[in-house]
Amino acid sequence: MQRHEVVVVGAGLAGQRAALAAVQAGRDVAIVSKLHPLRSHSGAAQGGINAAVGAEDSVDTHIFDTVKGSDYLGDQDAIEFFCREAGPIVVEMEHFGTIFSRSDDGSLARRPFGGAHFPRTIYAADRTGLALLQALWERLGSENLTLYDEWDLTRLVVRDGRVHGLVAFDRTNGEFQEISAKAVVLATGPAGRVYGRTTNAHSCTGDGIAAAYESGAALKDMEFVQFHPTALLESSILITEGARGEGGLLKNASGERFMVRYAPHVQELASRDVVSRAIVTEIKEGRGFSGPYGGYVHLELMHLGKERIESRLTEICDFARRFAGIDPVTEPIPVYPAQHYMMGGIGTNVRAETNVRGLYAAGEAACVSIHGANRLGGNSLLETLVFGREAGIAAAAYASTAPTPEMHESDLDEATAPLRAWSSRADGEDPSTLRTELQRTMEEYVGIFRDEAGLMEGLRRVRELRRRFEKVRVVDRSQVYNLNLTDALETGHLLELAEVIVVGAFARTESRGAHSRTDYPKRDDARWMRHTIARKGPSGPVLDYAPVGFTKYEPTERVY
Amino acid sequence: MAVDTVHVPLEVYRFQPGTDPAPSFRRYELDLAPHTPVLSALLRIRAETDPTLSLRYSCRSAICGSCAMRINAKSRLACETPVGPEIERHGRIVVEPMANQPVVRDLVVDQSPFWRDYRSIEPHLKLDPYHPMPEGKPNPMTPAEVARFHDTPRCISCAACYSACPAVAADPAFPGPMALAKLYRFVVDPRDAAHQDRLVRIQTEGLWLCLRCHLCTEACPKDVRPSERIRDLKEMAIAAQGATERGSRHAVAFAENLRGAGLLNETKLVRQTFGVLGTLPQLPHGIKIWRKKPEVAHRPRPIEGREELEQIYRALGPEGGR
Repeated sequence: MQRHEVVVVGAGLAGQRAALAAVQAGRDVAIVSKLHPLRSHSGAAQGGINAAVGAEDSVDTHIFDTVKGSDYLGDQDAIEFFCREAGPIVVEMEHFGTIFSRSDDGSLARRPFGGAHFPRTIYAADRTGLALLQALWERLGSENLTLYDEWDLTRLVVRDGRVHGLVAFDRTNGEFQEISAKAVVLATGPAGRVYGRTTNAHSCTGDGIAAAYESGAALKDMEFVQFHPTALLESSILITEGARGEGGLLKNASGERFMVRYAPHVQELASRDVVSRAIVTEIKEGRGFSGPYGGYVHLELMHLGKERIESRLTEICDFARRFAGIDPVTEPIPVYPAQHYMMGGIGTNVRAETNVRGLYAAGEAACVSIHGANRLGGNSLLETLVFGREAGIAAAAYASTAPTPEMHESDLDEATAPLRAWSSRADGEDPSTLRTELQRTMEEYVGIFRDEAGLMEGLRRVRELRRRFEKVRVVDRSQVYNLNLTDALETGHLLELAEVIVVGAFARTESRGAHSRTDYPKRDDARWMRHTIARKGPSGPVLDYAPVGFTKYEPTERVY
Repeated sequence: MAVDTVHVPLEVYRFQPGTDPAPSFRRYELDLAPHTPVLSALLRIRAETDPTLSLRYSCRSAICGSCAMRINAKSRLACETPVGPEIERHGRIVVEPMANQPVVRDLVVDQSPFWRDYRSIEPHLKLDPYHPMPEGKPNPMTPAEVARFHDTPRCISCAACYSACPAVAADPAFPGPMALAKLYRFVVDPRDAAHQDRLVRIQTEGLWLCLRCHLCTEACPKDVRPSERIRDLKEMAIAAQGATERGSRHAVAFAENLRGAGLLNETKLVRQTFGVLGTLPQLPHGIKIWRKKPEVAHRPRPIEGREELEQIYRALGPEGGR
């Protein structure tokens, strides 16, 4: 058994920032991650990080934009804290060595992003996540901590409402290990792979969210799933909102700039839920393009000129050329909306505390909530750093006085029993079959537009898949880098979380932000301005509701 | 609308050290649209025919750096290598793990040597205690200063360059193209206070082991151009410290030596590189060569057109020719 005071699961920006804070507080810290830290999905974030540092801008405007963007489901007290920390934490990342893009006067360059009043998004070309991830990892390199990379989290050990550690296995030799911890920070990212059309990496399977849920932690607002308006046709690779921030235009098959009809004031720079619905509506009503990979619209950059496209949108220029054979300098990019972000996650407060003592969560795995029903572009990188740090500080403080964790001999056995069963079966289904069916189901019934009948059918199918998963089989019996075993573990997590998403979406009979019910098209503040809380019950998620943190921003209709 | 497909025979390296007696290739056949990336083909094999195939992958968009492998002998990312052109050129697709790192299983290699070499160049800002960072404010940095990084910030640590590099294969003391491109990134960073120390250190620790074959630049999926940055580091190292090492002395001597006659005076070159005393151990070797080819001992006669060579040197300026 390994012993540490604070164990951080996940090594993206949130996890690394938590680890740094906990190390700086003098604790013995370990990071457990299924990927090498530099391979984390944080590195795929393109557009930028918001901080109201411009002379014309203000923290108050950032707060207001975020509250409005959240469709008034974000906790206003949390958002105020979040936006105030933005400037200092971006400066800190600059001091750690991040290479940001610059303006001629040497200041941090900013670009406009959807839903923001001013150009507020600080960036590093169109690889801001990568730039931050490199700088933070290199900064963390001079600290003393233990890294368990390419380890899969199997289960959290929680007893008497308190965390004692976790069980994980080392992919390189297949060994299961108990790691005892006074405090655990979950920073494992989203479960975007419940959908097939997603900008998320294959590794985004919600492992930490599922582990928290299974051990009694409450999940919050899981039905709020963001679809990014501009994913590359077929591969669903993200084309940053920065492309529209730089002046990119969306056009339908007749060459019309259709966003003028949906968001007359800001057109392409409306908030993501608005633009995604507009694109799907255009396609549904026959004004989009169609082809073997389904309906799509055009994102045009040509008018920006070669120099600007290649210097500010370097990566997506490469993506379009290599993955779609399209040169954005001379042709429009075919795009459609794809799953991109989960507003929901493990419920936390501003200090990143969950309802389980000693268990903290941060980044996309968590739901504070600052994004409410819809996240603004540029706010997620900021969230990883602000709440990653909070989680590290809180976990370290708790660990300094917490009692010694009690791991039992049976913990390892209990955590690994299902995995051993999968691997000893003579027959059964392969996890990837179930995963693919789940992804199709979620796309068809729990996508951008939802209704009661569809959600009911979606739920029935997800539950059927969960039953089939009980007989899943791992055919690979190797101890070394057994991805088939990892597949099964991840698929179980996805199925568990898909059920929570559908149940929450079914119950919420209104349309708010990214949750759009065609049978309940209006936002219903009297009944639904509250968070969905889901806990694991004996026969599925048990829902409860919690009030939204309110300071001074009265809900009004959201128009862009 | 249907999508045109091509027939794709894939031969995939399979090996589990300790279990399999020897590596082998397993053949899979798929029909795929020509633009399908090799990674998608491998994932389809895993999902449909063989879940025991092991590989690293994550983002499938050339940003996480997980899926570097050798595809038809070239080190590159599987997620951005389409099958069509490979089939056109080679008729099949041979997939092997990266080189210069031991195989863990199938296409998965042990990257610890790569990460160790990366850490060895101390990849973090070193600050001058007398010039602290501006409190509460970002350091100013002009777009021109950002441009000095070239494309090094685009590095995704995929190790394709490390796999392609013959110097890594030949000499464990060579930290590899990625680590040196990373070093360059810190050397040109106006916030870093240790440029000089970094250059002095790398002169003795591997910089001159680069063979200048440019295979790293060819392999790099992100256009980081490690070999060009290594060249820059060599120039900066000589400018900072002078030619103090065998490698840098050789470079300077080579350039000056060539300038005279347009041909190398090899005897002189050896002396200039190793120094007079350092030449002594080379003597038996030199005598052997002299016996077979006595003309090497003579001063080479100036070649025709060496005036043009002189013009090139002048155009290159004082650091020319290195």
